[in-house]
Amino acid sequence: MLRSLFAFKYRLLFPLLLVIALILGYPLAYSFWVSLHDYRLTAIAQARWVGLEQYFTILAQNASFWNALRNTVIFVGVAVGLELGLGLWLALLLHRKTTLFRNFFRSALLVPMFVTPIAVGLMFRFLLNSQLGVVPAVLRAFGIEVDWFSARNALLTLALIDVWQWTPFMVLLLLAGLESLPEEPFEAAKVDGASSLQTFWHLTLPMLRPTIMAAVIIRMLDAFKVYEYVYAITRGGPGESTETIQYHIYRVGFLYFRLGEASAMSYVLIAVILVLVIMLFYALRRESLAQR
Amino acid sequence: MRRLQRELPVLFALSLALGLVAFPYAWTLLTSLKTEAAINRALALDFTPTLLNWRAVLFESNIPLQMRNSLLVGLLTVSLALLVGAPAAYAFSRFGVGGSGLRFAILAAQMLPPATLIVPLFLIMYSLQLLDSLWAVVAAHLTFILPLATWFLIGFFDDVPRDLEEQAMVDGCTPWQAFYKVVLPGIRPGLAATGLFGFVLSWNDLFYALLLTGKNSATLPVGVAGFWTFRGIEMGRMSAAIILAVVPMVFASFFVQKYLVRGIGGGAIKG
Repeated sequence: MLRSLFAFKYRLLFPLLLVIALILGYPLAYSFWVSLHDYRLTAIAQARWVGLEQYFTILAQNASFWNALRNTVIFVGVAVGLELGLGLWLALLLHRKTTLFRNFFRSALLVPMFVTPIAVGLMFRFLLNSQLGVVPAVLRAFGIEVDWFSARNALLTLALIDVWQWTPFMVLLLLAGLESLPEEPFEAAKVDGASSLQTFWHLTLPMLRPTIMAAVIIRMLDAFKVYEYVYAITRGGPGESTETIQYHIYRVGFLYFRLGEASAMSYVLIAVILVLVIMLFYALRRESLAQR
Repeated sequence: MRRLQRELPVLFALSLALGLVAFPYAWTLLTSLKTEAAINRALALDFTPTLLNWRAVLFESNIPLQMRNSLLVGLLTVSLALLVGAPAAYAFSRFGVGGSGLRFAILAAQMLPPATLIVPLFLIMYSLQLLDSLWAVVAAHLTFILPLATWFLIGFFDDVPRDLEEQAMVDGCTPWQAFYKVVLPGIRPGLAATGLFGFVLSWNDLFYALLLTGKNSATLPVGVAGFWTFRGIEMGRMSAAIILAVVPMVFASFFVQKYLVRGIGGGAIKG
Protein backbone atom coordinates (compact mmCIF):
# COMPACT_ATOMS: atom_id res chain seq x y z
CA MET A 1 0.00 0.00 0.00
CA LEU A 2 2.73 2.44 0.97
CA ARG A 3 4.82 1.58 -2.02
CA SER A 4 1.89 1.93 -4.43
CA LEU A 5 1.09 5.30 -2.91
CA PHE A 6 4.70 6.33 -3.50
CA ALA A 7 4.41 5.30 -7.14
CA PHE A 8 1.04 7.01 -7.41
CA LYS A 9 2.25 10.43 -6.39
CA TYR A 10 5.18 10.35 -8.80
CA ARG A 11 2.95 9.19 -11.61
CA LEU A 12 0.79 12.26 -10.97
CA LEU A 13 3.83 14.50 -11.13
CA PHE A 14 5.59 12.92 -14.09
CA PRO A 15 3.66 14.58 -16.98
CA LEU A 16 4.34 18.02 -15.53
CA LEU A 17 8.06 17.37 -15.15
CA LEU A 18 8.25 15.98 -18.67
CA VAL A 19 6.48 18.96 -20.25
CA ILE A 20 8.48 21.46 -18.17
CA ALA A 21 11.71 19.78 -19.26
CA LEU A 22 10.63 19.99 -22.91
CA ILE A 23 9.33 23.55 -23.05
CA LEU A 24 11.43 25.22 -20.33
CA GLY A 25 14.45 23.12 -19.42
CA TYR A 26 15.66 22.31 -22.89
CA PRO A 27 15.11 25.83 -24.32
CA LEU A 28 16.96 27.40 -21.39
CA ALA A 29 19.92 25.06 -21.83
CA TYR A 30 19.86 25.63 -25.58
CA SER A 31 19.76 29.38 -25.03
CA PHE A 32 22.85 29.17 -22.83
CA TRP A 33 24.66 27.23 -25.55
CA VAL A 34 23.64 29.88 -28.10
CA SER A 35 24.87 32.63 -25.78
CA LEU A 36 28.37 31.18 -25.96
CA HIS A 37 28.40 31.53 -29.75
CA ASP A 38 28.50 34.36 -32.21
CA TYR A 39 25.16 33.18 -33.53
CA ARG A 40 23.46 35.20 -36.24
CA LEU A 41 20.13 34.35 -37.78
CA THR A 42 21.48 35.46 -41.16
CA ALA A 43 24.47 33.12 -40.96
CA ILE A 44 23.56 30.18 -38.74
CA ALA A 45 26.02 27.87 -40.51
CA GLN A 46 28.93 30.12 -39.55
CA ALA A 47 28.12 30.19 -35.84
CA ARG A 48 31.39 30.48 -33.99
CA TRP A 49 32.33 29.60 -30.40
CA VAL A 50 33.22 32.71 -28.41
CA GLY A 51 32.84 31.49 -24.83
CA LEU A 52 31.87 34.14 -22.32
CA GLU A 53 33.05 36.97 -24.54
CA GLN A 54 29.54 38.30 -25.22
CA TYR A 55 28.80 38.43 -21.49
CA PHE A 56 31.90 40.53 -20.89
CA THR A 57 30.99 42.83 -23.74
CA ILE A 58 27.47 43.31 -22.41
CA LEU A 59 28.59 43.95 -18.85
CA ALA A 60 31.58 46.13 -19.67
CA GLN A 61 30.80 48.19 -22.70
CA ASN A 62 27.28 47.79 -24.04
CA ALA A 63 25.78 51.23 -23.45
CA SER A 64 22.47 50.34 -25.12
CA PHE A 65 21.96 47.37 -22.80
CA TRP A 66 22.58 49.41 -19.67
CA ASN A 67 20.43 52.21 -21.00
CA ALA A 68 17.60 49.73 -21.54
CA LEU A 69 18.08 48.30 -18.06
CA ARG A 70 18.08 51.78 -16.57
CA ASN A 71 14.91 52.72 -18.48
CA THR A 72 13.24 49.55 -17.27
CA VAL A 73 14.18 50.22 -13.64
CA ILE A 74 12.84 53.79 -13.89
CA PHE A 75 9.67 52.50 -15.56
CA VAL A 76 9.18 49.83 -12.89
CA GLY A 77 9.93 52.19 -10.02
CA VAL A 78 7.56 54.94 -11.18
CA ALA A 79 4.78 52.58 -12.25
CA VAL A 80 4.81 50.27 -9.23
CA GLY A 81 5.25 53.16 -6.79
CA LEU A 82 2.19 54.97 -8.14
CA GLU A 83 0.23 51.72 -8.36
CA LEU A 84 0.91 51.00 -4.70
CA GLY A 85 -0.15 54.46 -3.52
CA LEU A 86 -3.24 54.62 -5.68
CA GLY A 87 -4.08 50.96 -5.09
CA LEU A 88 -3.85 51.29 -1.33
CA TRP A 89 -6.08 54.35 -1.35
CA LEU A 90 -8.72 52.68 -3.55
CA ALA A 91 -8.52 49.45 -1.53
CA LEU A 92 -9.17 51.38 1.69
CA LEU A 93 -12.18 53.12 0.12
CA LEU A 94 -13.56 49.83 -1.18
CA HIS A 95 -12.95 48.11 2.15
CA ARG A 96 -15.21 50.50 4.09
CA LYS A 97 -18.48 48.76 4.76
CA THR A 98 -20.46 51.98 4.39
CA THR A 99 -19.22 52.81 0.88
CA LEU A 100 -22.12 53.05 -1.54
CA PHE A 101 -22.27 50.69 -4.55
CA ARG A 102 -19.24 48.90 -3.08
CA ASN A 103 -19.57 45.63 -5.01
CA PHE A 104 -20.29 47.38 -8.27
CA PHE A 105 -17.17 49.55 -7.98
CA ARG A 106 -15.11 46.54 -6.97
CA SER A 107 -15.80 44.52 -10.06
CA ALA A 108 -15.83 47.48 -12.46
CA LEU A 109 -12.54 48.94 -11.28
CA LEU A 110 -10.73 45.62 -11.62
CA VAL A 111 -11.46 45.25 -15.34
CA PRO A 112 -8.34 46.92 -16.85
CA MET A 113 -5.95 44.21 -15.62
CA PHE A 114 -7.68 41.62 -17.79
CA VAL A 115 -7.56 43.60 -21.00
CA THR A 116 -5.19 42.91 -23.90
CA PRO A 117 -2.11 45.11 -23.29
CA ILE A 118 -1.45 45.81 -26.97
CA ALA A 119 -5.02 47.12 -27.25
CA VAL A 120 -4.44 49.31 -24.20
CA GLY A 121 -1.22 50.64 -25.70
CA LEU A 122 -2.87 51.46 -29.01
CA MET A 123 -5.87 53.10 -27.34
CA PHE A 124 -3.58 55.42 -25.41
CA ARG A 125 -1.38 56.10 -28.41
CA PHE A 126 -4.50 57.38 -30.12
CA LEU A 127 -5.95 59.21 -27.10
CA LEU A 128 -2.66 61.03 -26.44
CA ASN A 129 -1.66 61.64 -30.06
CA SER A 130 -0.81 65.33 -30.47
CA GLN A 131 -2.85 65.76 -33.67
CA LEU A 132 -5.71 63.25 -33.40
CA GLY A 133 -5.89 62.67 -29.67
CA VAL A 134 -8.72 63.85 -27.47
CA VAL A 135 -6.58 64.40 -24.36
CA PRO A 136 -4.17 66.95 -25.90
CA ALA A 137 -7.13 68.63 -27.60
CA VAL A 138 -8.95 69.06 -24.30
CA LEU A 139 -5.79 70.24 -22.54
CA ARG A 140 -5.16 72.73 -25.32
CA ALA A 141 -8.58 74.21 -24.70
CA PHE A 142 -7.32 74.99 -21.19
CA GLY A 143 -4.08 76.38 -22.59
CA ILE A 144 -1.97 73.42 -21.51
CA GLU A 145 0.44 72.02 -24.08
CA VAL A 146 1.96 68.62 -23.25
CA ASP A 147 3.89 66.45 -25.68
CA TRP A 148 3.24 63.05 -24.14
CA PHE A 149 5.69 61.21 -26.35
CA SER A 150 8.67 63.58 -26.38
CA ALA A 151 12.08 62.21 -25.45
CA ARG A 152 11.65 63.59 -21.94
CA ASN A 153 8.08 62.46 -21.28
CA ALA A 154 7.62 59.24 -23.23
CA LEU A 155 8.96 56.83 -20.60
CA LEU A 156 6.81 58.42 -17.89
CA THR A 157 3.77 58.31 -20.18
CA LEU A 158 4.33 54.57 -20.65
CA ALA A 159 4.58 54.19 -16.87
CA LEU A 160 1.25 56.03 -16.48
CA ILE A 161 -0.36 53.63 -18.95
CA ASP A 162 0.95 50.78 -16.83
CA VAL A 163 -0.61 52.46 -13.80
CA TRP A 164 -3.94 52.62 -15.63
CA GLN A 165 -3.83 48.93 -16.43
CA TRP A 166 -2.25 47.44 -13.30
CA THR A 167 -3.42 49.48 -10.29
CA PRO A 168 -6.42 47.10 -10.23
CA PHE A 169 -4.06 44.24 -9.43
CA MET A 170 -2.80 46.11 -6.36
CA VAL A 171 -6.39 46.86 -5.35
CA LEU A 172 -7.29 43.19 -5.68
CA LEU A 173 -4.45 41.90 -3.50
CA LEU A 174 -4.58 44.71 -0.93
CA LEU A 175 -8.35 44.36 -0.54
CA ALA A 176 -7.90 40.67 0.13
CA GLY A 177 -5.18 41.53 2.63
CA LEU A 178 -7.39 44.07 4.38
CA GLU A 179 -10.22 41.58 4.59
CA SER A 180 -8.03 38.94 6.22
CA LEU A 181 -6.97 41.27 9.07
CA PRO A 182 -8.44 40.43 12.49
CA GLU A 183 -11.09 42.86 13.74
CA GLU A 184 -10.31 43.03 17.47
CA PRO A 185 -7.31 45.44 17.29
CA PHE A 186 -9.38 47.87 15.26
CA GLU A 187 -12.26 47.73 17.70
CA ALA A 188 -9.85 48.28 20.57
CA ALA A 189 -8.34 51.28 18.78
CA LYS A 190 -11.82 52.72 18.31
CA VAL A 191 -12.59 52.30 22.00
CA ASP A 192 -9.31 54.05 22.83
CA GLY A 193 -10.35 56.95 20.62
CA ALA A 194 -7.64 56.63 17.98
CA SER A 195 -8.13 58.84 14.91
CA SER A 196 -8.52 57.11 11.56
CA LEU A 197 -5.09 58.39 10.50
CA GLN A 198 -3.50 56.94 13.64
CA THR A 199 -5.26 53.65 13.08
CA PHE A 200 -4.00 53.56 9.53
CA TRP A 201 -0.36 54.30 10.44
CA HIS A 202 -0.05 52.20 13.56
CA LEU A 203 -2.40 49.28 12.82
CA THR A 204 -3.43 48.85 9.20
CA LEU A 205 -0.09 49.56 7.57
CA PRO A 206 2.11 47.34 9.78
CA MET A 207 -0.38 44.47 9.67
CA LEU A 208 -0.72 44.78 5.91
CA ARG A 209 3.03 44.81 5.34
CA PRO A 210 3.45 41.19 4.15
CA THR A 211 0.63 41.62 1.61
CA ILE A 212 2.13 44.88 0.40
CA MET A 213 5.54 43.25 0.01
CA ALA A 214 4.15 40.34 -1.98
CA ALA A 215 1.98 42.57 -4.18
CA VAL A 216 4.84 44.96 -4.92
CA ILE A 217 7.29 42.22 -5.85
CA ILE A 218 4.80 40.36 -8.07
CA ARG A 219 4.01 43.65 -9.83
CA MET A 220 7.72 44.48 -10.20
CA LEU A 221 8.46 41.11 -11.79
CA ASP A 222 5.59 41.60 -14.17
CA ALA A 223 6.44 45.21 -15.00
CA PHE A 224 9.97 44.10 -15.88
CA LYS A 225 8.45 42.30 -18.85
CA VAL A 226 6.99 45.50 -20.31
CA TYR A 227 6.93 45.20 -24.07
CA GLU A 228 3.47 45.80 -25.53
CA TYR A 229 3.24 49.51 -24.72
CA VAL A 230 6.69 50.11 -26.18
CA TYR A 231 5.85 48.11 -29.28
CA ALA A 232 2.47 49.80 -29.68
CA ILE A 233 3.60 53.35 -29.13
CA THR A 234 7.27 54.30 -29.30
CA ARG A 235 9.26 51.30 -30.56
CA GLY A 236 11.98 52.38 -28.15
CA GLY A 237 12.15 55.98 -29.31
CA PRO A 238 12.61 58.89 -29.46
CA GLY A 239 16.26 57.88 -29.69
CA GLU A 240 16.57 55.10 -27.15
CA SER A 241 14.62 56.93 -24.47
CA THR A 242 11.90 54.27 -24.03
CA GLU A 243 13.88 51.19 -24.94
CA THR A 244 13.11 48.68 -22.19
CA ILE A 245 15.05 45.50 -21.57
CA GLN A 246 12.51 43.15 -23.09
CA TYR A 247 12.23 45.38 -26.16
CA HIS A 248 16.00 45.68 -26.43
CA ILE A 249 16.49 41.90 -26.44
CA TYR A 250 13.76 41.62 -29.06
CA ARG A 251 15.49 44.26 -31.20
CA VAL A 252 18.97 42.76 -30.96
CA GLY A 253 17.70 39.23 -31.57
CA PHE A 254 15.01 39.69 -34.16
CA LEU A 255 15.62 43.01 -35.88
CA TYR A 256 19.43 42.75 -35.94
CA PHE A 257 19.42 38.91 -35.97
CA ARG A 258 22.19 38.70 -33.32
CA LEU A 259 20.73 35.72 -31.46
CA GLY A 260 23.90 34.89 -29.52
CA GLU A 261 24.13 38.36 -28.05
CA ALA A 262 20.39 38.40 -27.29
CA SER A 263 20.72 35.08 -25.43
CA ALA A 264 23.62 36.36 -23.35
CA MET A 265 21.54 39.43 -22.45
CA SER A 266 18.65 37.26 -21.43
CA TYR A 267 20.89 35.39 -19.00
CA VAL A 268 22.03 38.66 -17.45
CA LEU A 269 18.34 39.54 -17.14
CA ILE A 270 17.62 36.21 -15.45
CA ALA A 271 20.23 37.06 -12.83
CA VAL A 272 18.48 40.36 -12.11
CA ILE A 273 15.06 38.70 -11.97
CA LEU A 274 16.38 35.96 -9.69
CA VAL A 275 17.17 38.47 -6.97
CA LEU A 276 13.58 39.72 -7.12
CA VAL A 277 12.16 36.19 -7.09
CA ILE A 278 14.15 35.25 -3.99
CA MET A 279 12.82 38.35 -2.27
CA LEU A 280 9.29 37.31 -3.24
CA PHE A 281 9.71 33.84 -1.73
CA TYR A 282 10.78 35.28 1.58
CA ALA A 283 7.87 37.71 1.56
CA LEU A 284 5.35 34.99 0.71
CA ARG A 285 6.77 32.61 3.26
CA ARG A 286 6.63 35.18 6.00
CA GLU A 287 3.04 35.87 5.05
CA SER A 288 2.09 32.20 5.18
CA LEU A 289 3.74 31.95 8.62
CA ALA A 290 1.82 35.00 9.79
CA GLN A 291 -1.46 33.47 8.69
CA ARG A 292 -0.94 30.18 10.39
CA MET B 1 -28.38 62.33 6.09
CA ARG B 2 -25.04 62.72 7.84
CA ARG B 3 -24.02 59.36 6.50
CA LEU B 4 -24.82 60.51 2.99
CA GLN B 5 -22.77 63.64 3.51
CA ARG B 6 -19.81 61.57 4.58
CA GLU B 7 -20.21 59.11 1.73
CA LEU B 8 -20.44 61.68 -1.05
CA PRO B 9 -16.68 62.41 -1.30
CA VAL B 10 -15.94 58.65 -1.38
CA LEU B 11 -18.57 58.14 -4.04
CA PHE B 12 -17.12 61.03 -6.00
CA ALA B 13 -13.57 59.64 -5.82
CA LEU B 14 -14.65 56.16 -6.91
CA SER B 15 -16.77 57.57 -9.73
CA LEU B 16 -13.79 59.57 -10.92
CA ALA B 17 -11.66 56.41 -10.94
CA LEU B 18 -14.40 54.58 -12.81
CA GLY B 19 -14.55 57.41 -15.34
CA LEU B 20 -10.81 57.14 -15.95
CA VAL B 21 -11.15 53.39 -16.39
CA ALA B 22 -14.14 53.57 -18.73
CA PHE B 23 -13.19 56.57 -20.85
CA PRO B 24 -10.63 54.92 -23.17
CA TYR B 25 -13.07 52.14 -24.06
CA ALA B 26 -15.92 54.56 -24.61
CA TRP B 27 -13.80 56.79 -26.82
CA THR B 28 -12.47 53.84 -28.81
CA LEU B 29 -16.03 52.61 -29.34
CA LEU B 30 -17.05 56.08 -30.56
CA THR B 31 -14.04 56.20 -32.87
CA SER B 32 -15.01 52.87 -34.41
CA LEU B 33 -18.31 54.50 -35.43
CA LYS B 34 -16.72 57.55 -37.03
CA THR B 35 -15.73 58.24 -40.60
CA GLU B 36 -12.15 59.16 -41.44
CA ALA B 37 -13.04 62.85 -41.63
CA ALA B 38 -14.63 62.81 -38.19
CA ILE B 39 -11.61 61.07 -36.68
CA ASN B 40 -9.36 63.83 -37.95
CA ARG B 41 -11.25 66.36 -35.85
CA ALA B 42 -10.11 65.26 -32.42
CA LEU B 43 -13.05 66.62 -30.43
CA ALA B 44 -15.79 65.76 -32.90
CA LEU B 45 -18.93 64.59 -31.15
CA ASP B 46 -21.33 65.85 -33.82
CA PHE B 47 -20.71 63.05 -36.30
CA THR B 48 -23.08 60.71 -38.09
CA PRO B 49 -22.38 57.18 -36.86
CA THR B 50 -21.34 54.72 -39.52
CA LEU B 51 -20.87 50.96 -39.49
CA LEU B 52 -18.35 51.03 -42.35
CA ASN B 53 -15.41 50.28 -40.05
CA TRP B 54 -17.20 47.35 -38.48
CA ARG B 55 -18.20 45.96 -41.85
CA ALA B 56 -14.60 46.25 -43.05
CA VAL B 57 -13.20 44.53 -39.98
CA LEU B 58 -15.77 41.74 -39.83
CA PHE B 59 -16.03 40.93 -43.53
CA GLU B 60 -12.98 42.24 -45.35
CA SER B 61 -10.08 41.77 -42.91
CA ASN B 62 -8.20 38.92 -41.33
CA ILE B 63 -9.56 39.74 -37.88
CA PRO B 64 -12.18 36.92 -37.83
CA LEU B 65 -9.50 34.40 -38.80
CA GLN B 66 -7.18 35.82 -36.15
CA MET B 67 -9.92 35.62 -33.54
CA ARG B 68 -10.41 31.99 -34.43
CA ASN B 69 -6.67 31.41 -34.09
CA SER B 70 -6.61 33.09 -30.68
CA LEU B 71 -9.58 31.04 -29.57
CA LEU B 72 -7.95 27.79 -30.71
CA VAL B 73 -4.59 28.62 -29.15
CA GLY B 74 -6.27 29.59 -25.88
CA LEU B 75 -8.42 26.46 -25.71
CA LEU B 76 -5.55 24.12 -26.59
CA THR B 77 -3.15 25.77 -24.14
CA VAL B 78 -5.64 25.74 -21.31
CA SER B 79 -6.74 22.13 -21.91
CA LEU B 80 -3.14 20.92 -21.91
CA ALA B 81 -2.26 23.04 -18.88
CA LEU B 82 -5.16 21.65 -16.85
CA LEU B 83 -4.61 18.09 -18.02
CA VAL B 84 -0.94 18.13 -17.01
CA GLY B 85 -1.15 20.64 -14.16
CA ALA B 86 -4.09 19.25 -12.18
CA PRO B 87 -2.58 15.83 -11.28
CA ALA B 88 0.73 17.46 -10.39
CA ALA B 89 -0.98 20.12 -8.28
CA TYR B 90 -2.84 17.31 -6.48
CA ALA B 91 0.46 15.55 -5.80
CA PHE B 92 1.92 18.80 -4.41
CA SER B 93 -1.12 19.49 -2.29
CA ARG B 94 -1.67 16.00 -0.83
CA PHE B 95 1.74 14.37 -0.74
CA GLY B 96 4.02 17.42 -0.68
CA VAL B 97 6.14 15.91 -3.45
CA GLY B 98 9.50 17.61 -3.82
CA GLY B 99 8.91 19.84 -0.81
CA SER B 100 8.37 23.57 -1.01
CA GLY B 101 11.52 23.91 -3.15
CA LEU B 102 9.93 22.29 -6.19
CA ARG B 103 6.70 24.22 -5.62
CA PHE B 104 8.50 27.52 -5.69
CA ALA B 105 10.57 26.45 -8.69
CA ILE B 106 7.25 26.05 -10.52
CA LEU B 107 6.28 29.56 -9.45
CA ALA B 108 9.67 30.93 -10.51
CA ALA B 109 9.20 29.41 -13.96
CA GLN B 110 6.11 31.56 -14.36
CA MET B 111 8.15 34.68 -13.57
CA LEU B 112 10.70 34.13 -16.36
CA PRO B 113 10.64 37.07 -18.77
CA PRO B 114 9.58 35.88 -22.24
CA ALA B 115 12.70 37.53 -23.66
CA THR B 116 14.76 34.73 -22.14
CA LEU B 117 12.81 31.99 -23.90
CA ILE B 118 11.98 33.48 -27.26
CA VAL B 119 15.37 32.90 -28.91
CA PRO B 120 15.56 29.14 -28.20
CA LEU B 121 11.84 28.63 -28.85
CA PHE B 122 12.17 30.40 -32.18
CA LEU B 123 15.15 28.25 -33.18
CA ILE B 124 13.47 25.03 -32.03
CA MET B 125 10.27 25.82 -33.91
CA TYR B 126 12.33 26.73 -36.94
CA SER B 127 14.14 23.41 -36.98
CA LEU B 128 10.89 21.51 -36.36
CA GLN B 129 9.31 23.53 -39.20
CA LEU B 130 6.58 24.63 -36.82
CA LEU B 131 6.98 28.38 -37.34
CA ASP B 132 3.75 29.96 -38.56
CA SER B 133 1.71 27.21 -36.89
CA LEU B 134 -0.62 27.38 -33.92
CA TRP B 135 1.38 24.67 -32.14
CA ALA B 136 4.39 26.94 -31.83
CA VAL B 137 2.27 29.52 -30.00
CA VAL B 138 0.62 26.86 -27.84
CA ALA B 139 4.04 25.59 -26.72
CA ALA B 140 5.22 29.13 -25.99
CA HIS B 141 2.07 29.97 -24.02
CA LEU B 142 2.37 26.76 -22.02
CA THR B 143 5.73 28.00 -20.68
CA PHE B 144 3.91 30.48 -18.46
CA ILE B 145 0.35 29.16 -18.31
CA LEU B 146 1.26 25.62 -17.18
CA PRO B 147 3.27 26.78 -14.13
CA LEU B 148 0.57 29.32 -13.32
CA ALA B 149 -2.25 26.77 -13.58
CA THR B 150 -0.34 24.31 -11.39
CA TRP B 151 0.32 26.99 -8.79
CA PHE B 152 -3.33 28.10 -8.75
CA LEU B 153 -4.65 24.54 -8.47
CA ILE B 154 -2.41 23.66 -5.49
CA GLY B 155 -4.37 26.26 -3.53
CA PHE B 156 -7.74 24.97 -4.65
CA PHE B 157 -6.79 21.36 -3.79
CA ASP B 158 -5.55 22.49 -0.36
CA ASP B 159 -9.06 23.72 0.37
CA VAL B 160 -10.68 20.30 -0.20
CA PRO B 161 -10.95 18.36 3.07
CA ARG B 162 -8.95 15.13 3.06
CA ASP B 163 -11.77 13.10 4.60
CA LEU B 164 -13.51 13.09 1.23
CA GLU B 165 -10.99 10.96 -0.60
CA GLU B 166 -10.15 8.91 2.48
CA GLN B 167 -13.83 7.98 2.70
CA ALA B 168 -13.84 7.16 -1.01
CA MET B 169 -10.84 4.87 -0.59
CA VAL B 170 -12.45 3.13 2.37
CA ASP B 171 -15.42 2.55 0.07
CA GLY B 172 -13.10 0.73 -2.34
CA CYS B 173 -11.88 3.40 -4.73
CA THR B 174 -8.27 3.30 -5.89
CA PRO B 175 -6.29 6.51 -5.18
CA TRP B 176 -6.65 7.45 -8.83
CA GLN B 177 -10.43 6.97 -8.77
CA ALA B 178 -10.65 8.96 -5.58
CA PHE B 179 -8.75 11.76 -7.33
CA TYR B 180 -10.80 12.07 -10.47
CA LYS B 181 -14.19 10.95 -9.18
CA VAL B 182 -14.24 12.74 -5.85
CA VAL B 183 -11.60 15.45 -5.52
CA LEU B 184 -11.57 16.82 -9.06
CA PRO B 185 -15.33 17.48 -9.20
CA GLY B 186 -14.96 19.16 -5.80
CA ILE B 187 -12.77 21.90 -7.21
CA ARG B 188 -14.81 22.53 -10.34
CA PRO B 189 -15.10 26.30 -9.72
CA GLY B 190 -11.35 26.48 -9.13
CA LEU B 191 -10.68 24.57 -12.34
CA ALA B 192 -13.00 26.84 -14.29
CA ALA B 193 -11.44 30.00 -12.86
CA THR B 194 -7.91 28.75 -13.48
CA GLY B 195 -8.78 27.75 -17.02
CA LEU B 196 -10.49 31.04 -17.76
CA PHE B 197 -7.59 33.07 -16.35
CA GLY B 198 -5.13 31.00 -18.38
CA PHE B 199 -7.25 31.71 -21.43
CA VAL B 200 -7.15 35.44 -20.70
CA LEU B 201 -3.34 35.35 -20.52
CA SER B 202 -3.08 33.39 -23.75
CA TRP B 203 -5.54 35.67 -25.56
CA ASN B 204 -3.62 38.76 -24.43
CA ASP B 205 -0.10 37.67 -25.40
CA LEU B 206 1.58 39.64 -28.15
CA PHE B 207 5.30 38.93 -27.69
CA TYR B 208 5.42 35.22 -28.50
CA ALA B 209 2.66 35.37 -31.08
CA LEU B 210 4.38 38.19 -32.95
CA LEU B 211 7.58 36.21 -33.42
CA LEU B 212 6.25 32.67 -33.84
CA THR B 213 3.26 33.21 -36.12
CA GLY B 214 2.99 34.19 -39.76
CA LYS B 215 0.22 35.12 -42.13
CA ASN B 216 -1.97 32.08 -41.48
CA SER B 217 -1.44 31.61 -37.78
CA ALA B 218 -1.45 35.24 -36.56
CA THR B 219 -3.45 35.69 -33.38
CA LEU B 220 -5.74 38.61 -32.57
CA PRO B 221 -3.16 40.82 -30.76
CA VAL B 222 -0.86 40.50 -33.78
CA GLY B 223 -3.73 41.48 -36.05
CA VAL B 224 -4.70 44.44 -33.88
CA ALA B 225 -1.10 45.66 -33.76
CA GLY B 226 -0.96 45.46 -37.56
CA PHE B 227 -3.44 48.28 -38.06
CA TRP B 228 -1.11 51.05 -37.01
CA THR B 229 1.29 50.55 -39.89
CA PHE B 230 -1.05 52.46 -42.18
CA ARG B 231 -1.21 55.36 -39.74
CA GLY B 232 -4.38 57.44 -39.51
CA ILE B 233 -5.96 55.69 -42.47
CA GLU B 234 -6.88 52.63 -40.44
CA MET B 235 -7.80 54.32 -37.18
CA GLY B 236 -11.52 53.52 -37.30
CA ARG B 237 -10.95 49.88 -38.17
CA MET B 238 -8.29 49.51 -35.54
CA SER B 239 -10.76 50.79 -32.96
CA ALA B 240 -13.31 48.20 -34.01
CA ALA B 241 -10.66 45.46 -33.78
CA ILE B 242 -9.62 46.69 -30.31
CA ILE B 243 -13.22 46.46 -29.12
CA LEU B 244 -13.42 42.90 -30.45
CA ALA B 245 -10.26 41.95 -28.56
CA VAL B 246 -11.29 43.65 -25.33
CA VAL B 247 -14.96 42.76 -24.85
CA PRO B 248 -14.51 39.01 -24.22
CA MET B 249 -11.86 39.80 -21.61
CA VAL B 250 -14.16 42.24 -19.81
CA PHE B 251 -16.72 39.47 -19.46
CA ALA B 252 -14.13 36.92 -18.41
CA SER B 253 -12.91 39.28 -15.70
CA PHE B 254 -16.26 39.22 -13.90
CA PHE B 255 -16.11 35.44 -13.60
CA VAL B 256 -12.46 35.17 -12.62
CA GLN B 257 -12.14 38.02 -10.09
CA LYS B 258 -13.69 36.15 -7.19
CA TYR B 259 -11.21 33.27 -7.37
CA LEU B 260 -8.10 35.15 -8.40
CA VAL B 261 -6.78 35.98 -4.95
CA ARG B 262 -7.02 32.39 -3.78
CA GLY B 263 -5.29 31.32 -6.99
CA ILE B 264 -2.39 33.73 -6.62
CA GLY B 265 -1.94 32.69 -3.00
CA GLY B 266 -1.73 29.15 -4.40
CA GLY B 267 0.74 26.88 -2.72
CA ALA B 268 2.22 29.57 -0.48
CA ILE B 269 -0.62 29.88 1.98
CA LYS B 270 -1.12 26.92 4.30
CA GLY B 271 2.05 25.48 2.72
